Amino acid sequence: MSDKEKKSESIDKVQLVYARVLEMVSHVGMAFLAIGYLVYVLQLLPLSVPIDAIAGNWHLKASEMQQKLHTPAGWSIISSPAALFKGDVVSYLSIYYLAMATVVCLVFASVTFYREKNYLYTTIAVLQVVVLLVAASGVIH
Amino acid sequence: MNSAARKILVSCAAASGVLAFLFISPNIGYAIQPHVAEPTAWWVWMILLFAFSFILGIFSVLAGVGGGVLFVPIVSGFFPFHLDFIRGAGLLVALSGALSAGAPLMRKGLADLKLGLPMALVGSISSIAGALAGLAMPANVVQLLLGVAIMFIAALMMKSRAYGTPDLKKPDALSQMLQISGIYYEESTKSDVSWQIHRTPLGLFLFMIIGFIGGMFGMGAGWANVPVFNMLMGVPLKVAVATSGLVLSINGAAAAWVYIFKGAVVPLIAVPAIGGIMLGSKIGAKLLTKVNTRSVRLVVIIMLVVAGLRSFLKGLGI
Repeated sequence: MSDKEKKSESIDKVQLVYARVLEMVSHVGMAFLAIGYLVYVLQLLPLSVPIDAIAGNWHLKASEMQQKLHTPAGWSIISSPAALFKGDVVSYLSIYYLAMATVVCLVFASVTFYREKNYLYTTIAVLQVVVLLVAASGVIH
Repeated sequence: MNSAARKILVSCAAASGVLAFLFISPNIGYAIQPHVAEPTAWWVWMILLFAFSFILGIFSVLAGVGGGVLFVPIVSGFFPFHLDFIRGAGLLVALSGALSAGAPLMRKGLADLKLGLPMALVGSISSIAGALAGLAMPANVVQLLLGVAIMFIAALMMKSRAYGTPDLKKPDALSQMLQISGIYYEESTKSDVSWQIHRTPLGLFLFMIIGFIGGMFGMGAGWANVPVFNMLMGVPLKVAVATSGLVLSINGAAAAWVYIFKGAVVPLIAVPAIGGIMLGSKIGAKLLTKVNTRSVRLVVIIMLVVAGLRSFLKGLGI
């Protein structure tokens, strides 16, 4: 087997792993997004901020709306376990899940690269995960 | 009149409707300094947003551009939401589209991880910086710059001529070090196409700039990723388009977190936009073989010019 064939085989394996994980997380994500939104707008659960209040202030800058309505942002939406039973929080969480989907794919890709002994791409993939986790942690805002 | 011509006519009519709405009702949208209390029920706006995003989704696929690039300038033109929320939703629109289309493209070897990851790494860092800069700027400045960017994109779409499979003699040292090359199966010729790239350092630099712009305006950056991959670095067009989605999904996620923490992501607005664009994209993909995409592309360029001009004028307070 030539080097090129070996390389192609290795790429395919990582790509297949990434594709499999991506397919799974994106399908779950879309379902979560739809269900979360229905729970929110149909008010099947109580809301932390009423929809009318959001609609009455969505012309404001994000920071101004936050100041006025005390809308949750970042991980503060789950300040307590009880918050998980708020309709808007469920919808927020579905969006957070979508934003985290790439991280999950990259973690699996990192492990596969490592098993393939491709340390250069293991490093790149791990660095990418770190960048996304730092963004998701909220420390740079 | 044959079926394809009818579809083009319908497409053009829909686009004309959008343009007419942009011109005739200039005071409906007030993304910068709205002072009037909103009289329309919130759910009416949500239905309108969903329907509008659905049409944008169809057009974006037919025109070969990402939904995000159309979403932000046009929605900011005539929906009552502040630009912050539109940009937050725009990033999620671009991210969701890339996520949902990604898996099949990966399996076919069209979206290439080794090509996409180094570009996404620099792009995601700069997209975070772009998002921070964009949210710190006054809305009218962002709106003005957005107008300039959109008109530039329209000009780029008019001028650019993509190469199917660029003829590349020698890969550069960095791309060899990064092991960037590949093979994919070209269905039209029933043969394997092998490819390699060049000008990788310049490509990395440009992806950094593109990431910053994408983060700042909350747009997907397929309009820029694809020409850089294809025309600058010599990546075959199909691989360029597919890998652009991979880069978008990573850069979009990084910048989206900045918008989330700044309170600029509101599910009430973001979810109908995502749902509409994704559903529209699926319909657009089905129409792709039946519609004259060149005509639709022209319509989209006109829509972009109008939206860009409108954004620019709003930025100037006109």
